[in-house]
Amino acid sequence: MSLLCVDDLYVDLPGGVGPVRVLDGVSFDLPAGGALGLVGESGCGKSMTALAVMGLLPEGAKANGRIRLNGHDLLGLPDATLCTIRGRRMAMVFQEPMTALNPVQTIGRQVAEAPRRHLGLSRAAAEERARHLLDRVGLPTMRFPPDLYPHQLSGGQRQRVGIAIALSCDPVLLIADEPTTALDVTIQAQILDLITELSLETGMALLLISHDLGVIAQTTDRMAVMYAGRIAETGPTAAVFGHMAHPYTRALFAAMPQAAETGARLSAIPGQVPAPGRTVPGCHFADRCRHAGQRCRDAPPPALTAVDPDHVVACHFPQARDTVP
Amino acid sequence: MAPFLLQRSAGLLATLLVASAVIFLVLEVLPGDPALVMLGINADSDTLQALRAEMGLDRPLLERYADWLIDLVQGHLGTSVTYDVPVSDLIGERIAVSLPLALLAILLSTAIAIPVGVVAAAHHGRLLDTTVMGVAQLGVAVPNFWLAILLILVFSVGLRWLPAGGFAGWDAGVGPAMLSLLLPAISLALPQAAILARVTRSSVLEVLREDYVRSARAKGLSQGQALWHHALRNALIPVVTILGLQFSFLLAGTIIIENVFYLPGLGRLLFQAIAQRDLIVVKALVLILAAAVVVVNFLVDLSYALLDPRLRPGVRHG
Repeated sequence: MSLLCVDDLYVDLPGGVGPVRVLDGVSFDLPAGGALGLVGESGCGKSMTALAVMGLLPEGAKANGRIRLNGHDLLGLPDATLCTIRGRRMAMVFQEPMTALNPVQTIGRQVAEAPRRHLGLSRAAAEERARHLLDRVGLPTMRFPPDLYPHQLSGGQRQRVGIAIALSCDPVLLIADEPTTALDVTIQAQILDLITELSLETGMALLLISHDLGVIAQTTDRMAVMYAGRIAETGPTAAVFGHMAHPYTRALFAAMPQAAETGARLSAIPGQVPAPGRTVPGCHFADRCRHAGQRCRDAPPPALTAVDPDHVVACHFPQARDTVP
Repeated sequence: MAPFLLQRSAGLLATLLVASAVIFLVLEVLPGDPALVMLGINADSDTLQALRAEMGLDRPLLERYADWLIDLVQGHLGTSVTYDVPVSDLIGERIAVSLPLALLAILLSTAIAIPVGVVAAAHHGRLLDTTVMGVAQLGVAVPNFWLAILLILVFSVGLRWLPAGGFAGWDAGVGPAMLSLLLPAISLALPQAAILARVTRSSVLEVLREDYVRSARAKGLSQGQALWHHALRNALIPVVTILGLQFSFLLAGTIIIENVFYLPGLGRLLFQAIAQRDLIVVKALVLILAAAVVVVNFLVDLSYALLDPRLRPGVRHG
């Protein structure tokens, strides 16, 4: 059985003229100890998926479907119950290390907070644990005493604190929402390595959200490509990179600077992600897709269909393996 | 921290010096002959000369200012013409009423405003929020002297719970003395609490949208716990700023409120001194009130550093 099982998840946010659908039947599984990457452009619903799993959707949001952690449905649980799970069983690392830490509390206190709350540790024991955790994420106490404040640290160091906070109660699931996007390129690899290393070491499952296919390729064993609130393609990371069946996956890959030949112009995906709430009869990607036919504009994309074993795609015209993108 | 305190203290002294110069100039130079102002136009010319000599008006301006400053530093504030006692004695007697009154008013106003503002923010957009903020809006609009008269009518004349005015004196014990300060303190506190509650509410609402509040929620804190443990302290800086600004309004308010309640405080003394043209008393009192405002602003500056480590002097680490 999967550790995290998201099944047919719909999320509506309150909008000016009525609810706006931001997640439209998202389903995926994450086995214990696995690493799943969610990839897509800004606004495709990646972060909303993460917040839905954490039960931290914005006020007024409505979620339908099932989100099971170890077989227990989290949707519809009262907030008090979710509070015993958040930070304990599942934890999250956020995109903006500069603003994700409380500026008026020491880093030691912020790391010690969850262990005191969830593990019933005394103040001294929690502080000891915090020192140990900070040490483990590469902030040794000698150079980074726990009584430092966030503003005394760099972005990368703050993200390390964020990781220490997330790990503080040995969660079974770590959600990392663009954990390296706000960091310098030189620091990005260090932080990714740290996350990978720690999840291997502790056996916790990783849900990694990124717009960067390179990050996904490096870090995850399964990936799901999201577009306009839906999963377009999902499968083992190696299989998806080996055979990008959805035209959107191919377009994303082609838009990667690393994928372009030196000196060549970067390829961009024409058009824009459709505004959330805009309903079209056909596939949301049809307007931007160079393989789209009439069927794509008229009929909704088919349910996820296997192109290879364990590798599924939601497209009327999945690309064959040998097609050059 | 020490250089920081030293720097701020130097600033405080400089401000006080400027304030003293302004007060001296305004009261001694601008209105013409202070002795004439004090004694009235029908004064006997010998008396006038005597007062002039006593006040040193025949000497150069700078010399008089320097003398006044030196006297001030030594605690000599001069002798009141109307009461014929040293001004420092007068002030010492009256400050025993005004200082507790001001402190009680500030205590009441923050004790009411901060919880009310936080609760309103926590119930943002719901009935409780709208009701509380509606009442606060009313509180902002009510002048404190009118509220004072209303309170006297209800609690003194109607219910007979509290004295309508006068001061029992500290000799009568802390209880009766505090009881006679209670209604005046409430009259001063409520209109300020109304403003402060609105500031607290909007500041808390703003901070609740911060990323670190979401981080706290992701750790397993409830919305309420995230508010008290993470949002509140961050939200207090604008609240403390307004509190500091309100202090000068509070001092101005005591002049009126002490008159409404017949309290022998500094405000009433100032009012009487102005009415009786006792410029020596007026000068000393205005300087003391100015000093109080400057000192409170100094304390506000210090409290910023206490609340927010980013405003403390120190070295960056990374």
